[in-house]
Amino acid sequence: MLTLPRWQNWTITGIVLLSLLLALPNLLPTAVLNYLPQWYAANIISLGLDLRGGAHLLFDVDVRSVVRQRLTDLSDSIRTELRKQQLQVREIASDGTSLTVSLRDAADAARIADIIRNLESGLLDVTTVAPTTLRVAYTQQELTRRRQQVLDQSIEVVRKRVDETGTKEPTIQRQGDERVLVQVPGVENPDDLIKLISTTAKMEFRLEGVGATILRPTKEGWDAVWPELAKSERWQKESNKTLIAEEICRRQATACMPVSRRVVVSGEELTDAQATFDQQTNRPIVSFRFTTSGGRAFCRATTDNINKPLAIVLDERVISAPVIQSAICGGSGIITGSFTSQQTNDLALQLRSGALPATLTVIERRTVGADLGADAIRAGTIAAVVGTALVVLFMFLSYGPTFGGFANLAMAVNLLMVFAGMSVLGASLTLPGIAGLVLTVGMAVDSNVLIYERVREEQSLGRSAMSALTAGYERAMSAIIDANLTTLIAGVLMFGFGSGPIKGFATTLSLGLLTSMFSSTIFTRMVLAQWMRWRRPRELVI
Amino acid sequence: MFKPVRLLPNKTNFDFLGKRRLALVLSTILNIASIAMVFVVGLNFGIDFQGGIAIEAKSLKGDADLAETRRIGSGLGLGEVSLQEFGAKDTILIRIQRQKGDEACVANASRLLTKAMGNGWSMKPVADTQSGNLELTAPGRISDDQAAKAAAAVGLPENLVRSGTSPATVALEQDQRDEWCQQVGILVAKDALASAYDFRRTESVGPKVGGELLHTGIISVGLVLLAIAIYVWMRFEWQFGVAALIALVHDVLTTVGLFAITQLEFNLTALAALLTIAGYSINDTVVVFDRVRENLRRYKRLSLVELLNVSTNETLARTLMTSGTVFLAVLALVLFAGPVLYSFSIAMLWGVIVGTYSSIWIANASLVYMHFRPDRVRPDDDEKEKTRITDVEVRP
Repeated sequence: MLTLPRWQNWTITGIVLLSLLLALPNLLPTAVLNYLPQWYAANIISLGLDLRGGAHLLFDVDVRSVVRQRLTDLSDSIRTELRKQQLQVREIASDGTSLTVSLRDAADAARIADIIRNLESGLLDVTTVAPTTLRVAYTQQELTRRRQQVLDQSIEVVRKRVDETGTKEPTIQRQGDERVLVQVPGVENPDDLIKLISTTAKMEFRLEGVGATILRPTKEGWDAVWPELAKSERWQKESNKTLIAEEICRRQATACMPVSRRVVVSGEELTDAQATFDQQTNRPIVSFRFTTSGGRAFCRATTDNINKPLAIVLDERVISAPVIQSAICGGSGIITGSFTSQQTNDLALQLRSGALPATLTVIERRTVGADLGADAIRAGTIAAVVGTALVVLFMFLSYGPTFGGFANLAMAVNLLMVFAGMSVLGASLTLPGIAGLVLTVGMAVDSNVLIYERVREEQSLGRSAMSALTAGYERAMSAIIDANLTTLIAGVLMFGFGSGPIKGFATTLSLGLLTSMFSSTIFTRMVLAQWMRWRRPRELVI
Repeated sequence: MFKPVRLLPNKTNFDFLGKRRLALVLSTILNIASIAMVFVVGLNFGIDFQGGIAIEAKSLKGDADLAETRRIGSGLGLGEVSLQEFGAKDTILIRIQRQKGDEACVANASRLLTKAMGNGWSMKPVADTQSGNLELTAPGRISDDQAAKAAAAVGLPENLVRSGTSPATVALEQDQRDEWCQQVGILVAKDALASAYDFRRTESVGPKVGGELLHTGIISVGLVLLAIAIYVWMRFEWQFGVAALIALVHDVLTTVGLFAITQLEFNLTALAALLTIAGYSINDTVVVFDRVRENLRRYKRLSLVELLNVSTNETLARTLMTSGTVFLAVLALVLFAGPVLYSFSIAMLWGVIVGTYSSIWIANASLVYMHFRPDRVRPDDDEKEKTRITDVEVRP
């Protein structure tokens, strides 16, 4: 039978109404939206960069150089350690992925291998490739962990920097193993942004108030004054952090602390910082490590200034000022305090993010001007309206006002559902996405065509109106499902493999096909059943 | 109110399969020509797939002077620079070939550096062949500010240009230098054209990404074809799957051939069109196959060719109508969606036409040549079908 059970009718009506509700904010003018609650009105489809203008930048994170630097540091420590133990090696060479240690005496091989292994226990693979040659490399696990960390850290740094520009709705995403994707709407000339992103932040360790001092804002002070300051035009474009810091301290000296003019160690000497736990007290701490020269300078400064605060200055603001408990001479140390583990994580990240952990190279760049975006919206809208109008007209002419009308109604419901779906998924609409929408308009009515043609056929075999309709729905179903699923296969694979513009297209196409299976078959079936009950035609004009 | 208009009479009786040899010859020629064109003429790959730079620029006053701009472009030392009008008389699309990280690129960067920083500033590749290192020379000590400014002038990450003594070494791997040279290309082109044009869209794709996109593109086309063929095989018989695959390959190949002949830009959206064609052109085929399966049970005594003919005729209206609606939608895209989507729309339009053709001739004809014989039909199926029809008919 054509007629569906009552609960199904209610469910179908419910789905359509829900879609209308979800899609409505996209269709209402802003004047009306302003009267609606924010949580509802904000639920609109965002436009892609090609429609609103903006920059799409794909950065390659140079993880190799991080590994290489680490190997260089390692070869330094191996030399130092072996000298301490009075063992000799001929040469330590690095090829960027491993170290080759050439020994003078094959008899030392086992002992030296042990010493090296213990330098970073558990992280190093030491193999004997020849009697007097050792190969030292980081374990695969350690390399993976390191890569992950470098990427996370890069993303964090990039995010922080983009956020500070006050750009609205930036997208910063990891892509693959060593890439960061940055999408910033509204930015037409990304050169400044690229510069900002790839700039190294300046980190310094300074003693508090020793000798000649300067004022530097505390983190809280900066956060309190900067938002106000950033509103004025003069400061908006200012990228010189020193000037900004001085201005903040001029306006509100109480938010600042005096630090020594002399820099104890600069951030470039810091090789690592990690949030961990104190083994005795089990409290969250931050451990850090310096290069050899940095360690030496740090040792001197801490020996002379026990019980005095040491200011950690990042981009001219004091992010922390722990008190020196004892001389720190091993090249590494810890920062203790009443931290939560969240705070130690943040601090470690900030210490590390003093510098980008690796060089970021732009490998893909796409920028669209806002007026070009506006042109694209106009062109896309015209194409969509004309395409829809042509299809609507075609359906009316081919199947008459009643059946053509129902098919067109179903297509409208389908568009509504696509809008609703995109709002819910938070997908953004791109120009290829509009093309996908136009295509779904043409494809959505295909299901109705299949049903109607079957009805025509059944009716010409001499069936009654009701029986022809019922048979039409039932027998067209398998072809409809097959046809939609095959196209959907293409859509889903496109989404999985495609990048950028293809994704936007695949989204609207796949979504449109999925919803059309509902609107063109189930929804029209309900409408037609009601219509049949109302009109009770003997013969269908189709 | 008006009556529905019918494009076709209620019952048609075309001998489609009788013309299958003609269709096969035609399609074979089309496909071979397509492959030949791809190899002889080649595809006009967009920057998505081969890397390079594309700049859409709008003339600041009046129409764009193509000849003059072409002259400037070819003198930039950026290799092949192609120009075309893009959608309007005052708008051009400048395409610049993928930049190599060679000495020419560094020489360009050096010119930019001298222009931005003054005499005495220059850069050159470091002589050792292993790395892509650069050597930056300044007239004196390089201050922090100067380092930052110099880096910005040539599009290098700031942390790579160190302040201090001159000459300074800029540490780059060779592949990083290849990528960086795309940015140099953009800067050089914009510098030369800024007085006459407003830049509306700038895209650059480095060698790494370009290679990957082409690679995944080819894989995804293959996977889509295979997945659809497997689906059809599972829903019907294996012969149907093979026939569908042949029709799909036919559609995709000729579309690629269209790109080779017209030299329309083959970019990411063109790839999207290719995948959509694969997914959509199968629709009509599936509708015909569905009917073939139904008729196999209904008409036992018809020869395969006759049976396919009957099925194709019975579904002809459907095939034309469904293709018609999509054709109209795509036509709107071709006419109004603008130059960015032009390749995509033209390809789709072709795909809809060739997809309809291949459903009627290629897919069906393939079935004939595979000596398709249903092995699942049992003799009593005829009876069953009859009872089923009467079943429905006695209902009020």
